[in-house]
Amino acid sequence: MSATPASTPAIALKGVSRRFTDPGGGEVGVRTTDLVVPQGEIHGIIGFSGAGKSTLLRLVNLLERPDAGEVIVHGQNLTRLSASGLRQARHRIGMIFQHFNLLHNQTVAENVALPMRIAGASADHIKKRVATCLDFVGLAEKADVYPGRLSGGQKQRVAIARALAPEPHVLLADEPTSALDPRTTLDLLDVLADANRQFGVTILLVSHEMEVVRRLCHRVSVMEGGRIVEQLDIANGAIPEGSLLASWLADFGAVGPAASPSPTQSEATAPAPHHFALEAAHA
Amino acid sequence: MPENLLDTLIELQPEILKATGETLLMLAICLSVALVLGGALGILVFLTSRGQSLERFRGFNLVTNGVINVVRSFPFIILLVAISPFTRVIAGTSIGPLAASVPLSIAATFYFARLIEQTLRDVPRGVIEAAEAMGASPLQIVRHVLLVEARSGLVLAITVLAVSFLSYSAVAGVVGGGGIGDLAIRYGYYRFQTDVMVITIVLLIALVQSVQFAGQWLARRMDKR
Repeated sequence: MSATPASTPAIALKGVSRRFTDPGGGEVGVRTTDLVVPQGEIHGIIGFSGAGKSTLLRLVNLLERPDAGEVIVHGQNLTRLSASGLRQARHRIGMIFQHFNLLHNQTVAENVALPMRIAGASADHIKKRVATCLDFVGLAEKADVYPGRLSGGQKQRVAIARALAPEPHVLLADEPTSALDPRTTLDLLDVLADANRQFGVTILLVSHEMEVVRRLCHRVSVMEGGRIVEQLDIANGAIPEGSLLASWLADFGAVGPAASPSPTQSEATAPAPHHFALEAAHA
Repeated sequence: MPENLLDTLIELQPEILKATGETLLMLAICLSVALVLGGALGILVFLTSRGQSLERFRGFNLVTNGVINVVRSFPFIILLVAISPFTRVIAGTSIGPLAASVPLSIAATFYFARLIEQTLRDVPRGVIEAAEAMGASPLQIVRHVLLVEARSGLVLAITVLAVSFLSYSAVAGVVGGGGIGDLAIRYGYYRFQTDVMVITIVLLIALVQSVQFAGQWLARRMDKR
């Protein structure tokens, strides 16, 4: 980390694309797209379901291999690495998920220790980092509890501690608050903002929730049809007037599956009351 | 009748002990082999299945799946007879508990491979993906994720394996394999000694019950979900 100058972007996606065919035979994924995220930024990716947000995020740590283009994280071109080189690089790219993905048969402390055990850290170092990170997310007293006994918000905190434990350059967050209620969401956004401030970790976050992006992000990329169609600076939670995002906000109140302009049947029935609750909380 | 049964029990006590020892020996051998070889095979088949980390070795997956199905298609008694030349090479004889352990081990290995593969399917894909995102190698995924998250299912799979092969080992008695099944056939069946038959069945029931009970108890203790 110290070897990379501050001017090197944390994340640079150059002409990446990734195509899938959905069960209906339509094409989804990411079309040739560029994205540059400077070090220390919290960058949001927002868009409707099927816009390619999660795919774009998963290209960053190569959980999805791009069909074309280059993925460069902290100056290192991941697309050119060997399998073991990629594993090394992934040690410094944290990730959190919508459904937390904790190990149920391991205690909270063991979960947080996992990425460092995988990276081959010493037992002493692991112990120190586990304590530090659990303290950071406010769950120090839950170290010996199993995740099954935690609330959704607590589970995501454990996941954040786990992601931060190996001191990553970059934290990827895939809809981290979408399974949580509005109050818990706000608490969690504070934790992420603190992580960015205290540790300088760059955060790339995917969400369909307007409020999440507005509260947390410095900058946002708006995706539609597999492309980034707009990039905006968000100063103090204000969406620039005249932007596509501002018009979406005016039309739908929120950007979510329920508000999709071309919803499929199943998506159209999914209610999104908490988006509106968040809007109200903010007003 | 009960006195009669008791007399038989006392009279045949050395035979019963010997038979029980032989059964346990056969079980110990075939379960150990199956745990190591079948376990490894099952894990490899799982890892190379669609959507998993070693998906690129699809050929291995198809071939191994086929072999597992073929071996499992054999009625055990046919397998026992069919591979007896091979058994003689490995064990030096085709009679006795050690010889019977060869076909038992082969059947148990492929049976367990399938059990393991199916048990591992219960580990959510997202958890495996989280480990991949951490930079875990396939071996680390096995050790730190699959074996941890599926551990109670694995204990139950071993329990099923042990119970199934307790009864398979009784079939081995037909070809002079020794063990409790052999006792049942020699005394209970050929000599029409119903009391011996009853004793062996009670013995087998007791063994199955204790294996099943122990397995379920352990699995419950290990499951923290």
